[in-house]
Amino acid sequence: MSTIALSINNKAIGPIETSDDVMMIEFLHEHLNMTGTKFGCGVGVCHACTVIVDNEDGTSESVRTCINGVSRFNGKKIRTIEGHAKENEFGEIIKLSPVQETFIENFSFQCGWCTSGFVNETTVLVEKLKLMPIRVNEIETVIEKALGDHVCRCTGYVKYYKAVKELILSTEGLTRP
Amino acid sequence: MKMNVNLLKLSALFLALPLTANATENELVEQGKYLAKLGDCTACHTIDEGQANGGGLPFTTPFGIVYSTNISSDEEFGIGHYSLEDFTDAMRDGIAPKGNLYPAMPYTSYHLLKDHDIEALYRYFMSTKPVKQENRDNDLMFPTNIRMGLKAWNLVNHDSKVFEANADKSEKWNRGSYIVNGLGHCGECHTPRDVMFAMDQSRHFEGELIGGAEASDITPKELNRQGWTKQDLDDVLRKGYSRKGTVFAGMYPVVFHSFSHLTKDDMSAVTSYLLDNDGEVAAKSDTFNGHDKSDPGYDLYKGYCAGCHGINGEGKPNVSPALIANATIDKAIPINTLSVMLNGVEEQRYSHTHGFYAMPSYRDTLNVKQLTELTNYIRKVWTKQPSDLTESQVQEWVDKIEDSIADAAH
Ligand code: FES
Ligand code: FES
Repeated sequence: MSTIALSINNKAIGPIETSDDVMMIEFLHEHLNMTGTKFGCGVGVCHACTVIVDNEDGTSESVRTCINGVSRFNGKKIRTIEGHAKENEFGEIIKLSPVQETFIENFSFQCGWCTSGFVNETTVLVEKLKLMPIRVNEIETVIEKALGDHVCRCTGYVKYYKAVKELILSTEGLTRP
Repeated sequence: MKMNVNLLKLSALFLALPLTANATENELVEQGKYLAKLGDCTACHTIDEGQANGGGLPFTTPFGIVYSTNISSDEEFGIGHYSLEDFTDAMRDGIAPKGNLYPAMPYTSYHLLKDHDIEALYRYFMSTKPVKQENRDNDLMFPTNIRMGLKAWNLVNHDSKVFEANADKSEKWNRGSYIVNGLGHCGECHTPRDVMFAMDQSRHFEGELIGGAEASDITPKELNRQGWTKQDLDDVLRKGYSRKGTVFAGMYPVVFHSFSHLTKDDMSAVTSYLLDNDGEVAAKSDTFNGHDKSDPGYDLYKGYCAGCHGINGEGKPNVSPALIANATIDKAIPINTLSVMLNGVEEQRYSHTHGFYAMPSYRDTLNVKQLTELTNYIRKVWTKQPSDLTESQVQEWVDKIEDSIADAAH
């Protein structure tokens, strides 16, 4: 048995006991009933199951939950797709994050299977660019590097690409001359 | 009916006749084609998406960058103007009509080739599609940029002796030695290099760090200790994966382009030579010492590795190799265990139905303490190696790995 305690979307969870071979995605789905994180390939290829881990040094990284056991997340602060939008006191969504908004405006996704991964990865990217702005002519390469591994079966990648590019260009401080 | 069959036979004979006039030439070309695969010539002499044998692939050496040359039959840019003698000199002594070749071209191994095989290779290359692609200038630092120096280098470091059979060994063993040391040019990566950057034959096949990973120790002593059977070696060299683990880094293309094409007899000769045993070699039982749940490495293993390699190291078919019986983790110095953790492993497809997915790099995720705990833990559970590596040892190996990435040499 493994015992895990962590913070998810700023809420303390656990300590909870799980068996040793439980992957993080199973923990989210089965133990916490948080099913927003999607399970696709289960072998680390599609990146649909990506969540955000916030490190102590203020940096954040994206981590796939299908191939990482719960113990990797023990004591960590993580963010999942459920944590991006603002909610009111009744738990109703009142405002989407800028990443979510731009994806909706651009009709980037259709079935939503890949969306949790795209939203988390793009959020990490935007946060990185805030610390280290890029030149406008680097946008394409930077997006490709950050999101190139994410698989979408429905709308293709053009709309995701367009949305992320628009967001980077329209958010102050992400690009530099 | 009978007559018809005979007629058919007869007409087949007539059809075959004009071809036989050319049979020796064609046979030589065919043999040369096979030998070129053993030598893996096209892999180094072709850039990604470039035309086969057109050259231009960069090799980063500690002295600068050397580009492979056009070895297609093109008379202007390739080797179409070479005579058989020119070709022999290039293969055996690294002397091309235009000057000395850099020993990134493994003439330091190819000199072992017999005249007949060199001729077959020559005929084959003369039959290849000419590629109109100019050679690139090398980008080397002084004094290595002066080709004259190569003459002196050859004088001191190069022995152009043709293969001589070892009379104490079988014909099969000798055939294996000829392939492995000659065209296979395995020593170019697997034999450590001396200060002159020549293969140190006193440490033949003992392994060398190249481009962030170790070309393993493939001496019979080490391979037998690790428990390789002939079938395991056949599998890993022909398919890229085996009961004893998979090939990765620089060895993946070697399997793909070269060893997977070996005939059954040649592969059997190679495995007999590598294990120094003409007979069958019995498999040893796999090591699984059980988990130690109080070890900090257990938590790391569960968190970072078990998702793909399985909680008991059993691996996942077509996803990731098993740690049970894996030779990569069963080495006195865990360079390759650390190398895959730092660099990850690229996705590898061996056939339409077989392959492994990429392993992520943990360079920015695991610190030296964690790398040490994890490496010790893996050794403790799946090998008979001691699990008392210290952080300073691991740091030293990590530094070596990082340094070797900068000067990846052939
Ligand atoms: S479900 Fe995790 S990467 Fe596909
Ligand atoms: S929206 Fe369906 S997979 Fe991307």
